[in-house]
Amino acid sequence: MENKHYIAQLPDYLDDTLPPEQKEVIATHIASCTTCKEALKELQILSTAFDNEPEVAPSARLRDNFFAQLEAEKQSSSKLIAMDGSSFSKKTNWPTTFLKIAASIALLIGSYFLGKQQQAQIAHTEIALLTNENESFKQTAMLSLMGNKSASKRIQGVQFVTEFSAPDETIVSALIERMLNDENTNVRRTAVEVLSEFTRSELVTNGFIKALKTEKDPGIQITIIQILGKIQERNAVVPMQNLLERKDTQPYVKEELELVLPKII
Amino acid sequence: MKHFTFITLVLISFFAVNAQQYKQSLAGIEWVKIESKSSITVKTHTTNELLIKSENTTKIPERAKGLKLIGEGGADNTEMGFYVVKEGNNLIVRNLRKSNHSTAEIYLPASQNISVTTRGTGAADIEIIGFKSEIEASALLNGSIHIENVSGPVTADSLNGGITISFSTLNQDSPITIYATNGELDITLPKNTPANLSLGTVNGDIYTDFDLKFPEKNGLKSISFSQKLNQAINGGGVPFQLKTTNGNIYLRKK
Repeated sequence: MENKHYIAQLPDYLDDTLPPEQKEVIATHIASCTTCKEALKELQILSTAFDNEPEVAPSARLRDNFFAQLEAEKQSSSKLIAMDGSSFSKKTNWPTTFLKIAASIALLIGSYFLGKQQQAQIAHTEIALLTNENESFKQTAMLSLMGNKSASKRIQGVQFVTEFSAPDETIVSALIERMLNDENTNVRRTAVEVLSEFTRSELVTNGFIKALKTEKDPGIQITIIQILGKIQERNAVVPMQNLLERKDTQPYVKEELELVLPKII
Repeated sequence: MKHFTFITLVLISFFAVNAQQYKQSLAGIEWVKIESKSSITVKTHTTNELLIKSENTTKIPERAKGLKLIGEGGADNTEMGFYVVKEGNNLIVRNLRKSNHSTAEIYLPASQNISVTTRGTGAADIEIIGFKSEIEASALLNGSIHIENVSGPVTADSLNGGITISFSTLNQDSPITIYATNGELDITLPKNTPANLSLGTVNGDIYTDFDLKFPEKNGLKSISFSQKLNQAINGGGVPFQLKTTNGNIYLRKK
């Protein structure tokens, strides 16, 4: 026994998870073996370093998946723990020895699949990160297009928004900014058309109502009136009435208003 | 004495010709932005400079001698009724005259990005011929827009005038959008142009010799009175949008 080292068992020894008799054997061995003593010391340093490492909070995106994965993990690992327990049975007759071998095989196979599953999980997380990066890359590209000097490029940026499954507030705000303040009529009009896909958002409907007050182009005015009429936006009634009463409102815009206003209940 | 008269005449004519031309280098200029309250024509030439030519039909009032024309956007610094100034890598070219008696022509290289805006209560038409670059044209009040022999991208809009555009080829880089509120659109495309067409009008009609069809609606009537048509031609390509509120749309192939 003197020539045999226990380096492989040291982590368990440090964690105090070994059966008492094995623990004793290792303790006596360490007292006489410098190699194992050194190894244990290094392990302790590493362990404290791990403990001192600040915990990194996972993002909200990962959390949902995490709990499902945790459930699955609990089930698969609880079986393993039960087998571990049986392998430390005090009986020393041959069927238990046989069980020990079977258990270690099971452990081997189990850890192989566990490892495989973890690899798959890592890959999964990486892909998620990549698509996430892709989305943020898309967003950066889109926002930069929207700030381009060329009206055609800004329109391209505005139309790019349809590529997002669920555009976040930054994107929607950038679109509303284009709709309200772009110097080019076509950019404003394209922004109105793209935003009409997101009328469920209050941010968007408020943007439309604001545009109704500021927009001077009759073509865009009519498009906004039609959108707000379609979604029955009650908050738009007063601004629509104001537009109807304004002297500089074009007659065909007034016709559209007279058509749409009675339909908003 | 005869010699003296001749030299004087040559000198006078020299200065007169010079007075009708204004040149400005375009080194480092990304966009030329032309603003005008009267009609304006933009054509191409081969040198990398801005050239303004004016047939001097406008009579400068006798009383204006020794005085400088000033307009809303600045003072005449070209002796031609234009205010020209660099703003970053934009060159602003502002026509200060409101009257339409002078037919000013602006010449630029075909690769120059241009933006032309007119805002005239009288006819303030835009004419653009022969550019291979990006073109923006806005007739914000009563002007029409005529663009020919260009490749785009084109971004054009007009309020009361019509828009006529003839494309030689179609640049596939970024979208083409042509909107008119009260005017008609008359657009010509090469017949094998790939594009994703989107045509829409609120009160107008659509005419075309491209093979376009409105989607079948299974006997259901459209809720909106507006007509909208999205269809790819020649395998699909760059987004190409034609929209009007009250005018008709004519889309031709050549």
